[in-house]
Amino acid sequence: MDEDHAESKTFDAFEKFREMRDAYLDATSKTMIDAVNSDAYAQASGAMLESYVTASAPFRAALEKSMIQALEQLSLPSRQEVAALAERFTNVEMRLDDIDGRLDEIVKLCTSLKILANEKQTTDDFTPRKKAKAASVPAKSKGKPSPTSAPSKQAVRKGRR
Amino acid sequence: MSTTASFLDPAEVTRRMQTLNRVMTTKAAIAQTPKELVWTLNKAKLYRYTPVVPSEKRHPVPLLLVFALMNRPYILDLRPGHSFVEFMVKQGYDVYLLDWGVPGIEDKNLKFDDYTLDYLPRAIRKVKSLSGSNEFSLLGWCIGAILTTIYAALRPDDGLRNLLLLTAPLDFSKRDSLTFARWTDEKYFDVDKVLDAFGNMPGEIIDYGAKALKPIENYITNYCKLWDNLDNPLVVQSWHSMNTWVTDNIPMAGGAFRQLIVDFYRNDRLMKGELMFRGERVDLKRLRANLLTVVAQGDHITPPCQSEKIVSRVSSPDAEVYHVPGGHIGIMAGSSAHKRTWPYIDNWLGARSD
Repeated sequence: MDEDHAESKTFDAFEKFREMRDAYLDATSKTMIDAVNSDAYAQASGAMLESYVTASAPFRAALEKSMIQALEQLSLPSRQEVAALAERFTNVEMRLDDIDGRLDEIVKLCTSLKILANEKQTTDDFTPRKKAKAASVPAKSKGKPSPTSAPSKQAVRKGRR
Repeated sequence: MSTTASFLDPAEVTRRMQTLNRVMTTKAAIAQTPKELVWTLNKAKLYRYTPVVPSEKRHPVPLLLVFALMNRPYILDLRPGHSFVEFMVKQGYDVYLLDWGVPGIEDKNLKFDDYTLDYLPRAIRKVKSLSGSNEFSLLGWCIGAILTTIYAALRPDDGLRNLLLLTAPLDFSKRDSLTFARWTDEKYFDVDKVLDAFGNMPGEIIDYGAKALKPIENYITNYCKLWDNLDNPLVVQSWHSMNTWVTDNIPMAGGAFRQLIVDFYRNDRLMKGELMFRGERVDLKRLRANLLTVVAQGDHITPPCQSEKIVSRVSSPDAEVYHVPGGHIGIMAGSSAHKRTWPYIDNWLGARSD
């Protein structure tokens, strides 16, 4: 017989106590759950909270009044004023967050535009001579440029002037 | 499990008390998966988890996790070796997490409208910009599922490909099955009076509400389990990290809390098609993304009846309900989550993220 097994067989006076305690708590628990789930309990707890709130109201009002007066004497802002300031800070924070969001979008857009431009550049690098040749041939032969062909350097200079 | 002998040994008792003191008074090391802060707005923060899979093997569609407003989102990255985020990063997802932060008194007027139409779209824009993908997946858990569902219905053309909802409280029609609906009934609970007093809904009251649904389990049995297993380091570590999360309560913005009670719990406006956000009706029929809704069979916070109907209300050609044994948090952070829920989500999402 190993040691653990021997220990488990040892008489434990508290085991019976624990069993009894757990059985008692289980039974009481069910009763208590029913009790708190009743209108009587709801009424009693509501009345308790109500009486606390009602009883403390004059003290709270007096304390608040004297505190406001004291803060005024000391040229310090009241709690309400600080709270109003905090609300304004939150509004500013929200606007900043929106700007941050828009900046994110702009950066994203710029990045995708840059990628597009790079892609276009790469494509142009591979096909410029063929295109230029194709565009210049009909202009030379017919004497006037086609609307789709690239303007000549001279035309661009004229335009700038 | 301790024996009679160990209870009578003074050294053993001292050691146990030290362990108990440690886990009750300190915070466990949580949210350890490497991440980077990539965006902020007011208290909200967007994190991107450092990928561990080469980019060519990664799923191109990023995943954004959105948790509830009244709890810390690190439940999704609880501890190394037991973290949904860590698991998904290893499966090759580009994972982002939106942390709504802790609302201050200056945020008391924040509503679901603001979270859905100001914060979420901006965070998504950042996800898209960083990932370079025009499409994305959203995973919403609890209130996060309400926000993501509304977003998906209001902005169906923003590139949302997959929507995963975990324990989503969307349907409030069966009021008798909802304990919260009973407690927040207008006969007993004056939401305006409470919010006039507190500004935001205090985290402690929300936490009390969640725990009071099962008072014995949360206030007694939970500690008995720890006491019984103080000599088991694995159980202690797990309990410690979960306790760190459970006790890290945050308030919920007053405007959003009022909306949760009035528009959802009391009037079920989303399912009735009456919910209006900035003059725009939230029409679930406009939701077309692939949809998986994970329902916890033993959920006492969001009973299954609240999450099942959504699949029949949307236009998604690919919509599925997955039932998992477990509770509201247990299905994702419990000891069997890595065997059941996470692989299922990975299989479903993986097939739709390439």
